[in-house]
Amino acid sequence: MSNEAIIEMKNVSKRFLLPQGEVTVLDKISFQAKEGEFITLVGPSGAGKSTLLRLLIGLMHPSSGEIYYQGKLQRGMNDECSMVFQNFGLLPWLSVMQNIELGLEPRIKDSSERKEIVNRYVSKVGLEGYEEAYPRELSGGMKQRVGLARALAVEPSLLLMDEPFSSLDVLTSINLRNELLDIWSDRDNVVNTMIMVTHNIEEAIELSDRIIVLSNRPGQIVGDIKIDLPRPRRKRDKQFIEYVDRVFSLLA
Amino acid sequence: MDSSSSEGDKRPQHTLPEIGISQILGLVELLLGKGGREDIYKLAGELSMELGETLTVIKAAEMLGLVHTPGGDVEVEPFGSKVIDGSITERKDLIREKLEQLPVFKSVREFLKREEDAEVTREEVLEKLAELIPNEDAETSFSTIVNWGRYAELFGYNDDTQTFYLDL
Repeated sequence: MSNEAIIEMKNVSKRFLLPQGEVTVLDKISFQAKEGEFITLVGPSGAGKSTLLRLLIGLMHPSSGEIYYQGKLQRGMNDECSMVFQNFGLLPWLSVMQNIELGLEPRIKDSSERKEIVNRYVSKVGLEGYEEAYPRELSGGMKQRVGLARALAVEPSLLLMDEPFSSLDVLTSINLRNELLDIWSDRDNVVNTMIMVTHNIEEAIELSDRIIVLSNRPGQIVGDIKIDLPRPRRKRDKQFIEYVDRVFSLLA
Repeated sequence: MDSSSSEGDKRPQHTLPEIGISQILGLVELLLGKGGREDIYKLAGELSMELGETLTVIKAAEMLGLVHTPGGDVEVEPFGSKVIDGSITERKDLIREKLEQLPVFKSVREFLKREEDAEVTREEVLEKLAELIPNEDAETSFSTIVNWGRYAELFGYNDDTQTFYLDL
């Protein structure tokens, strides 16, 4: 393969010490994400999907094994990575603008430069007009746009998403999934590599180039499936349904 | 269910359903994925949404001219496809043009243009709403006016001072 791996896990295991003893959450995980890839991680709850994202961004460290970012051993937080959370992670006392600006403050000292970047991403995710609004005034869909704009504003090389659509209603998530694909395929963006956790198999097939399937605890990779379908993908297509069956059979 | 009411009923429709723009766009995207038309009852079942809730979203999409409801079906209008085909910014522009034609939004805009300092309070808008929709709870429509208005950048609303302003 010609393209470089942006991030790579080599034999990564994660164990937690609980009162009832040591629990292995992830067991010998190895995979690479290539520049420009959209990968989804699926697996039963308790498979360690969220832990895996936290290891990738450096919020947690492997109990054994290594993580390489652009070929270098990763220690500590990865500044070129950002994360979108299921429950948006917005600060209720800050406006939309201020919430997006938050992640930029440690990186960019000049406040007018910060504002300019914030405005760019506000417009990219369709939040113009909401700049002064507070999270409580926003629908779930608009809240997650703020979460997305905040993650994009730091101009990461790798975007991680932890079930970003699962607390939204069905119709809102359809809309946001489509807009996310637009953003991902927009080559003006710095970020074109995404790793997303989902428990929704159809969502994984609709969006990603590759699905990594994890088993129940301890989480191990039981499948790595390339989705070779043109976009936009339709759930009713025969091939789509075949992929659903394939992923299901790995989870069952 | 009386599905022909939209044709027989000539009263102007001012009540705004409490539905977010993302949900409305999601509905149109879903329908387009199904070839542009679907039976409403079937759609509700498929979305595991209550029929009443599904109808509210459809009604909202209909107010914006994105869909229409022939018989018991919901069908995407050419304008609906145009909106979905557009970029995020183009979508906002198209929705703005539609909103400008809706009486409630029209009057808030006119209100704002008339005021010297281009600021209108929440109370003033609620009063206007009570005039336009006397039998409905104006508070329900209020949040929708704020949300759709913000999305289309028709006006801004500051929740701290509870005032509307023109985004100039």
